[in-house]
Amino acid sequence: MTNLFEVSNITLRFGGVVSLSNVSLYQKRGEILAVIGPNGAGKTSLFNSLTGVYQPQEGSITFNPKEGEPISIIGKKPHVISHTGVARTFQASRMFNALTTFENVKIGAESHKGIGAIGAILRGPATRKDEKYSDARTWDLLDFVGLRAKANYIASSLSYGERRRLEIARGLATNPEVLLLDEPAAGTNPSEKLELTDLIRKVRDQMGVSILLIEHDMKLVMSLAERLYVLNFGSVIAEGTPDEIRANQNVVDAYLGTTTAEGAN
Amino acid sequence: MNLPFIKKLSTKALIILISSELAAVVTGPPGNGDTPWVGFHDSITQKASFFGLFVTGRWALFYAIGIISYLAVHFFKKLNSNNSAMDSLRSQYSSVAKNKYFKLAAVLVIGVLAILLPTVITDPFWREAMVSQIAVFVLLALGLNVVVGFAGLLDLGFVAFYAVGAYATAWCTGALPMPPIFGSHVNPFFAIPIAIILAMVAGVILGIPTLRLRGDYLAIVTLGFGEIITLFANNLTGITGGAQGTEQVPHFSLHIGPLKYIWGLDPVPYYYLVIGFVILFIFIFYSLEHSRVGRAWTAIREDEVAAESLGINPLKYKVMAFAIGAASAGFAGVMTAAQSNFLTPATFTLALSINILVLVIFGGMGSIFGVVFGAIVIQTITMYLIHTPPAGYQPPDLYIYIGALLVIMMIFRPGGLFPARRRQRADVATSSLENSND
Repeated sequence: MTNLFEVSNITLRFGGVVSLSNVSLYQKRGEILAVIGPNGAGKTSLFNSLTGVYQPQEGSITFNPKEGEPISIIGKKPHVISHTGVARTFQASRMFNALTTFENVKIGAESHKGIGAIGAILRGPATRKDEKYSDARTWDLLDFVGLRAKANYIASSLSYGERRRLEIARGLATNPEVLLLDEPAAGTNPSEKLELTDLIRKVRDQMGVSILLIEHDMKLVMSLAERLYVLNFGSVIAEGTPDEIRANQNVVDAYLGTTTAEGAN
Repeated sequence: MNLPFIKKLSTKALIILISSELAAVVTGPPGNGDTPWVGFHDSITQKASFFGLFVTGRWALFYAIGIISYLAVHFFKKLNSNNSAMDSLRSQYSSVAKNKYFKLAAVLVIGVLAILLPTVITDPFWREAMVSQIAVFVLLALGLNVVVGFAGLLDLGFVAFYAVGAYATAWCTGALPMPPIFGSHVNPFFAIPIAIILAMVAGVILGIPTLRLRGDYLAIVTLGFGEIITLFANNLTGITGGAQGTEQVPHFSLHIGPLKYIWGLDPVPYYYLVIGFVILFIFIFYSLEHSRVGRAWTAIREDEVAAESLGINPLKYKVMAFAIGAASAGFAGVMTAAQSNFLTPATFTLALSINILVLVIFGGMGSIFGVVFGAIVIQTITMYLIHTPPAGYQPPDLYIYIGALLVIMMIFRPGGLFPARRRQRADVATSSLENSND
């Protein structure tokens, strides 16, 4: 069985600044994989490279969907990559604030169909069937993340925790094989964090969607991730299970700190 | 009245005094080398009237408008901030307005009124204005609303598509020096699809290279495009007839078997024709707004990066917004050309683009009903000032009146007269969130 993601030796530069240097990693299918590291280590740059927002100058990224040929990510536009089955959330949650919770998710559910402007004007049976399907899928996902009661709320009126869950539902609506979560727990309170941990695990177990996660909250990462990569200054400095990472001296020096100092959580 | 308020008022009064004098000079008679001070002199001595209500010096008139606007805004704000009765009134109003049957009834009443309007209005000036200055501008505003309101793309050269529609009509009907496609003097009805398609093609041609730009850059590029079309019309004499344009666009006519009808100089039949198409375009745009396409436009407007990550191709949808908006402008061009018979490049100015944008902003960006209403209100005021100019009225004064109206409106109703549901919601939510953070 092939790996889901195969990233080999990618280098991303902005002018003279090297954001990612020679990064290689892989993700197995169905795995919850985490990427950790200090601020500015290149975690979000890695996500943006995987989703087509940034184009690395060197290296290759291959995405192997369940069906069909392996796809080379580099050089593709974000919306094309989304169609291949990669969904993501953003570090600072990016909702469509003028739309309701329901509409936010529905946009994800219907974005993979053609434009259908003529159909939209005429409202033929095919269009109505599509709408019905998208509506049903949207309700299912809102139930899944527990936002059914907030379906008609404006997205910007939701709490941080609810926004995170909405973003996950919106990403899942595109029917992905892998969901990239950029700091999903940022700005949430401890009880929301617990709910979020359960939700992420549920996404993998019930929907069969692999998870790639960036997170600073060590408790969450260590309880959730099956394998971790640690980035520092744009390079991978360690890879392994949570226990191996905790014991790795390089990681302790660069990021986790010693137990006498605060921050080890 | 307390002392700080009077102090504040006197500072504001001074600012209004200076700016009203500026306005009076700017819109007053032009000076020359011999009499450099004529503008300043006339700004004090020349008499002007506010919609015929009172007559006074130009400067004093503008000063009065400024002071009245300021006081109105000040007391409205005060009233608004400590009056919960206003809030309950507003929520009652909005709950009535949300009622489905109320909406349907409102649409029916407006429709009947629109049909009966020519029986009420008999003045030839107003009958003409109803078609060429109001109904056509409703079409233009509806089209620009798709681009600016739905997709959030600032287009300052919208008049280009209007020009393409008008020139396409003249071309198809053999009124241009360039040979027409179907022989000469074709019925303008056949020009409608060609003009609409050509306008849409112009939208796509402009859109594909420029819609990668965002915000201000896009505005500048579209502005340039509008100017290019006007320059083409002016300079390609062999194709467009140059600065003189053409005077030979035929009227609409109908020959189906025994049925024969010619739209002539009487504006009323044109009125019904345009109203029919306005209803058609409203239906099309409404369907689009409440479809996958409309949601994708909103998504791109709200957050392009997030929309892309969900699989929406922003360029495709933006180009589509341009083309669909251009369609109604192209049709407006057909109407203008056929109804007035003549066509010159001087019609398609930047000022006209801005005029259309004002209609959209005034009515409420993204709100179809608001935009139609805004176009009717602003164009009626404009026509009223031209038809019955108050004493001392100079044509440029129009912009003072419209400008004052816009400024006051931005304070009372920042989202326009009838704000779009989708835009309004975002504003309310953001402001309530900000308040709760304080």
